[in-house]
Amino acid sequence: MDAEAMKMLAVGLVMGLGALGPGLGIGILGYGAMQGLARNPEARGPIMTNMLIAIAMAEAIAIYALVVAIMLGFVF
Amino acid sequence: MAEPKKRGCLGCSLPIVILVAVVAIGIVVIGFLAGPIGQAMFHLDLPSWIVVEKPAIHLAAPHLFEIGGFPITNTMLAGWFTVIFLVVGSWLITRRMKIVPNRIQVIFEFLLGWIYDLCESVAGKENGRKFFPVVCTIFLFVAFNAWLSLIPGFGSILVGGGGHEYELLRGANTDLNTPLAISLVSCVFVAFYGMKSIGFSWVKQYFNFGPLLRSIGGIFKGKINFMDIFSNFVNAFVGGLEFLSMLIRIISFTFRLFGNMTAGEILVVIVAFLVPMAMSWVVYGFELFVGFIQALVFAGLTLVFVTMAVASHEGELHENKNTEEKELLKEGT
Repeated sequence: MDAEAMKMLAVGLVMGLGALGPGLGIGILGYGAMQGLARNPEARGPIMTNMLIAIAMAEAIAIYALVVAIMLGFVF
Repeated sequence: MAEPKKRGCLGCSLPIVILVAVVAIGIVVIGFLAGPIGQAMFHLDLPSWIVVEKPAIHLAAPHLFEIGGFPITNTMLAGWFTVIFLVVGSWLITRRMKIVPNRIQVIFEFLLGWIYDLCESVAGKENGRKFFPVVCTIFLFVAFNAWLSLIPGFGSILVGGGGHEYELLRGANTDLNTPLAISLVSCVFVAFYGMKSIGFSWVKQYFNFGPLLRSIGGIFKGKINFMDIFSNFVNAFVGGLEFLSMLIRIISFTFRLFGNMTAGEILVVIVAFLVPMAMSWVVYGFELFVGFIQALVFAGLTLVFVTMAVASHEGELHENKNTEEKELLKEGT
């Protein structure tokens, strides 16, 4: 396997594996928010805000992977 | 004229609606065919001005010129542009304030009032008022940085020549240095209020070596208490962990903002390359949302951390009512 193919493989693996964890995390967050919403529909506003903030945090981890993938793909 | 007759749909006459729909569908179809996906599927010969060439992506911000040996990059220019925009905008809006506000004043009063309410709900009435300026500045800078760089034409002005053409302006947060600077500002802000409210013991949270050295010194005086040494050692170690978590907080602040802004920029470019014209609208809407959310996350986390630094002493005395909210954010990092 030559270096270019290895690089492409690495980029794909970084993004794919890096999105795995945050995907699970966002799923769990959505699950929790939906349950909270079903139990207490009046608390829609605070649940929504906190869920969005927490999702942004989980998403940030995928973004780290994306940064690494971009650096592997375009810079090195 | 009594009532206007209702004809057609969506408030327009039927031919205009059909015309608009045909133009929109035409743009989507031509955009799809002109992109690399359509080219690979159908191999059409389209005129060269429709086909978009492959975008070049550079992460490092290029130096445009130097002032006294100090390199000026395009992201710095964009940052200054944002600052000037905000300053001039605030001056224009607050120049003629009225009790009954006009439209622009209403928008900004609503935005600032919303951030102010957020500050008060997280940090309490008195502290919220103190923290509001810095938190709101961070929010406005990050949000308007993201939004201004979405204006069509912002990144289209090219300077330089001979194969080295760069954009004159590029969103300031797509350079790693700007998010790092903002997160350092937020860290210094947290440290300042931590020191101001609980004094030197704020530093002792992180460097807790005093009791350990004292109990080790006790060995030479003949007082050997291994349990004491061990517990003080654990306390010092926990302080070190706290310090490490503060460093990681800065790094996470930096890379979160940098990654989101850079990914947004690259997403816009890549989508404009893959499906020209058609998909860009969707991504633009998404990027507006991302810019807002990232600004909210950056400002909100700064607010939560400074509240924690201030309240870590008071919290023992009286129950803080916002514990749940803080814990949720703490777990998120």
